[in-house]
Amino acid sequence: MTELSVRVTDLHIEFEVFSDRRAGLRQRLATKEGSGRRVIEAVNGVSFETRRGEAIGVIGSNGSGKSTLLSALAGLIKPTSGEILVSCEPKLLGVGAVLLNGATGIRNIRLGCLALGMSSDELDDRVAEIVEFTGLGEAIDRPLKTYSAGMRARLHFAIATAVQPEILLVDEALSVGDKEFRKKSRAKIESLLANAGTLFLVSHSTKQIERLCTRGLWLENGKLLADGPIADVIAQYGDDD
Amino acid sequence: MTVHDDSHPESDDQDQGLFSLDTSVSSRAYVAEIWKRRDFALSLPIEELQSSHKDTLFGNIWHLGNPLLTAGVYYLVFGKFLEVSRGVDNFVVWLIIGVFTYQLTSGTILGGASSITSRQGLMRSFRFPRAIVPISNMIGELLAFAFQFLVIVVFAFATGAGPSRRWFLLPVILLIHTAFNLGGSFIAARLNDGFRDIQQLIPFVLRLAMYASGVMFPLDRIVGRNDLVDWLVRLNPIASLINFYRWMILGTELNVATSALTVVESLLILWFGFRFFKVAEYKYGQS
Repeated sequence: MTELSVRVTDLHIEFEVFSDRRAGLRQRLATKEGSGRRVIEAVNGVSFETRRGEAIGVIGSNGSGKSTLLSALAGLIKPTSGEILVSCEPKLLGVGAVLLNGATGIRNIRLGCLALGMSSDELDDRVAEIVEFTGLGEAIDRPLKTYSAGMRARLHFAIATAVQPEILLVDEALSVGDKEFRKKSRAKIESLLANAGTLFLVSHSTKQIERLCTRGLWLENGKLLADGPIADVIAQYGDDD
Repeated sequence: MTVHDDSHPESDDQDQGLFSLDTSVSSRAYVAEIWKRRDFALSLPIEELQSSHKDTLFGNIWHLGNPLLTAGVYYLVFGKFLEVSRGVDNFVVWLIIGVFTYQLTSGTILGGASSITSRQGLMRSFRFPRAIVPISNMIGELLAFAFQFLVIVVFAFATGAGPSRRWFLLPVILLIHTAFNLGGSFIAARLNDGFRDIQQLIPFVLRLAMYASGVMFPLDRIVGRNDLVDWLVRLNPIASLINFYRWMILGTELNVATSALTVVESLLILWFGFRFFKVAEYKYGQS
């Protein structure tokens, strides 16, 4: 039996949000109500275990808690209750990942690598590798703010996978690249899985998930509705529509 | 060849080799984590500095040009047109020392408060000790101060305040000053993350502190009229920190007891600020 890579036990994540409709100052001071604060249960009692070499597709409608779950797995959000145990620090790759907009692509690669904890000694070799992998050509010397969404996605994917994470969390980031880059990124993910890595993929494209993943998790309103072989979970998800 | 952290202090599930990513680690482990990412903390402000004047014709020259012009304006207004001395020898240099060193403090604290909100994207994408964010802001302010200090030196030498043995103490003075600034920056960052309203208030607090720190006029002008003001001025470490530089460059008087108190206060503020910031580690970058 292969080793466990992630164990999530009864995970709850709550957010306190401010709604747009706030009451007036006088009313707020008088009643302590109407401050617009609301607690949202983004993840509500989720438990599962994953093993090395597994590719898990996470599906569910918008706002079902998929991205929150991934952020929590990456250690970026503290669980309200419950426990997350991992075999290695997971790396999160999201479309929203922001570095320095004014700096060039190559400088952003250097920064990203340092943020991931790479030492400056190994930096130079790796940066060359990453630049090569992005296939951005001359654009690598242009400021990030001139990049299209697809170009950004290439850059982020290249940075996140450069450290060869044992656990890779991908949030929608693969769907924006072009055909050639999708092919390249799929090859990279397959080599990661072959090296006993674990992949979590959040995507709205069930087609893409079916192609890459072996197992599915279906989240709805923060609850885990289904967990099993990817084909079964997608079939259930599809029936629901 | 994986680059990951093997040194996790707690391993809850030994037989499976699983551990929790909980960051409630000891202060020592936290500082070690920061030290491991020192290259990151350093390159973040350098990248920003390099790209900050990119859309101007003269580019990086502005890092020096800006403080040079600021000092030039003070020289013209106070040195040539008004010929004010306010009872101080070499008032122009005295003034620009005050302005630039106070700017280092106010910039670090204000920048620290806003850094935690302006760096949300970075914090949502990467996992690293959040103290890196105010620390790299502090480094950026120090880099900007280096140019300002150069201008101070030019004006000091031009007006005959030549180098002395006191200048060897510059690293020590900078260290104490930075301890205070970073501590204040940690406190402002945490407060601002909890209540965004703080960012609106800090400039006013800093402006008030500026008048109480003898930046533009000697403190003896406001001392001796009101006991409360006297005590606030005496306990105000910023006034004393600025005076360190004036003592070093212009040879103004230095009160040993006040200076010792300032060192203690600065270290205390850094210690308290660090603990205060670290408690809310997990909350930064989420709202």
